Amino acid sequence: MERPIRVVIAKVGLDGHDVGARVVARGLVEEGMEVVYTGLRRTPEQVVATALQEDCDVIGLSILSGAHVPLVRRVCELARDAGLDDVLVIVGGVIPDDDVRLLKESGAAEVFHPATTVPAIAGFIRANVRGTAVAP
Amino acid sequence: MTETAKHEGVHQLDAGPLVREWYGPDDVADADGIGAPGEFPYTRGIHADGLRSHPTLVKIYSGLGTPRDSNERFRKLADWGVDILQIASDLPSQIGYDPDHIMAAGEVGRVGTSIASLRDLEIAFDGLPLTRFRRVGTLFNSLGPVALAFFVALGEKQGLQVADYVVDLQNDPLKEYVARGTQFLPIEPAVRLACDVVAWTAAEAPHWYPLDVCVNHLNQAGAGSTNGTAFALANAVTYIEELLGRGLAIDSFAPTLQLFLDEREDFFVALANVRATRRIWAQLLRDRYGARDPRSLALQIMAYGHGRETRNEPLNNIARIALGSLAYYLAGVQSLYTASYDEVLQTPSEESVKIAVRTQQILGTELGFALTADPLGGSWYVEALTNELEEGIRAQLAEVDEGGGAIAWIRSGRMREVITGGAVRRQTRFERGLRPWVGVDRYAVSDGDDSWMVRPVRRMTEEAEEQRRREVAELRRTREQQRVLRALRELEATLAAGGNSVPAVLEAVRAYATVGEIADVMRGVFGEWQPDQTF
Repeated sequence: MERPIRVVIAKVGLDGHDVGARVVARGLVEEGMEVVYTGLRRTPEQVVATALQEDCDVIGLSILSGAHVPLVRRVCELARDAGLDDVLVIVGGVIPDDDVRLLKESGAAEVFHPATTVPAIAGFIRANVRGTAVAP
Repeated sequence: MTETAKHEGVHQLDAGPLVREWYGPDDVADADGIGAPGEFPYTRGIHADGLRSHPTLVKIYSGLGTPRDSNERFRKLADWGVDILQIASDLPSQIGYDPDHIMAAGEVGRVGTSIASLRDLEIAFDGLPLTRFRRVGTLFNSLGPVALAFFVALGEKQGLQVADYVVDLQNDPLKEYVARGTQFLPIEPAVRLACDVVAWTAAEAPHWYPLDVCVNHLNQAGAGSTNGTAFALANAVTYIEELLGRGLAIDSFAPTLQLFLDEREDFFVALANVRATRRIWAQLLRDRYGARDPRSLALQIMAYGHGRETRNEPLNNIARIALGSLAYYLAGVQSLYTASYDEVLQTPSEESVKIAVRTQQILGTELGFALTADPLGGSWYVEALTNELEEGIRAQLAEVDEGGGAIAWIRSGRMREVITGGAVRRQTRFERGLRPWVGVDRYAVSDGDDSWMVRPVRRMTEEAEEQRRREVAELRRTREQQRVLRALRELEATLAAGGNSVPAVLEAVRAYATVGEIADVMRGVFGEWQPDQTF
């Protein structure tokens, strides 16, 4: 039987608003995925260590503090350095349009805003996760 | 909730009740018990003349980038007639990390201004005496004594007496553990520090406001305003009992407490919730704690004027915020923040803050909203909803009380479970189209670029963050180091001995000890909070 998609949902940086992260975590479980939540205030190093340890397919970063550009860039760099090239990095938060472009250049596959449905996130993950993604 | 779940539709309020098609006299059995404005149980407001002698104060939560950037903004706020300035500080400042701490990387000056020491506050208030506003304050929920000390020491620098100005602090750590996330100490010492502030002001500055018990963050995180109000009241009970346990008389500090309400889903709930909460508070303080001073029983309410703002078509948020804020004028709250229309996207621009300030001033001045007390009192719907919300709040509060109180409910995860359950419910209702949202899932179009509607604000850069790191290093080199070390040792001894931390923190602040250094002493004595990985 095919292994379920494994997702690490992470709060990176000092932002303490994790309701979005927890709602998405629960929703993805409903969608049949396995989810690990890091808890608040993780460093990019801790997030990537968790991703390695959990052998995950997806890292979902939640950031609402405005520190998303340096933090997402750092997570993506560390993930590449750790050989996690095929792990899908997605971001949730309140991200201005100009920054969405920067995050995607850093390696984020998609950025989701608050008025997003969980099925939409799950659909994106299924369409793009390891092995299913088509190189641009 | 389960018996009504099957009726759930767009007529089911986020706050709980199912709204009927119409209301009449039979829906308000206890119409005689409503009372008059300014009279116990203060359902209709705490002043007999409503807002005439005590207008709703315009409060703004503001702060950005460096202290100098904030100073520029604060001067404008003063010119526009803002009554209460609540400084927004960045997350490192609120969690007790200096700008050069590894955990501060990328966060310096982001969600508010970077405040590492008294020096930064001096810059932020350069040319602005604390008397320029009716009240000044900040949040610093996990570091209340530091916030208090900052404003005492800044007043000293400006040649003011404590009697000359008014400080208004949030200083409500309990909700941080379940809804806002700036906690860094274990729960009990955090409560103790918050209560140190209340005890100090009760003795030294009884006209100050040392603690706002917050519903806002609990509601927004998912609790809804009914359960959120119950949890906030349970948190208030925890602070009150800690202070009574120290031997303070209830009437010596209860008049200085405020409650911070917020409801973003429904206009009538916002209004009815204020009325219900005043009634519950008055009875709780009289019957459970024996308060006698009418000022203890008459709850001072501040509120946050919001709608459900959207990222697209952001100018529509001006209408949402104005209508959300109107509920609080009609309910007669003591002070109000109005959100800025671009707040959902960025640190508000000067233009958007000005619109927020003017929105409040219009509500308080034009169109007759503030002429008479509780103008919607007596409406069958409003009174029935007030009763129904009151019942819901009381039921949840009783459940928390029976379960051992707020700390037990936080520690066991029960409080967060209610909050997360509410957040999931909101999301599910949105996904099913039961939470209509104009421009998002109703009347949505994609006809162009909205970016012109938002004025860009100068954002914190990596260079500015580096500059902040250099400034704090420079401060550590140039201040009187022996005095700092002495003050920090004294603080450590005070915390270990269980004394009130405020005098020792004040001495450390006067010596230009940094927020991070003071927080590290607290971490050393109390240990550190550890994140929870359950969801």
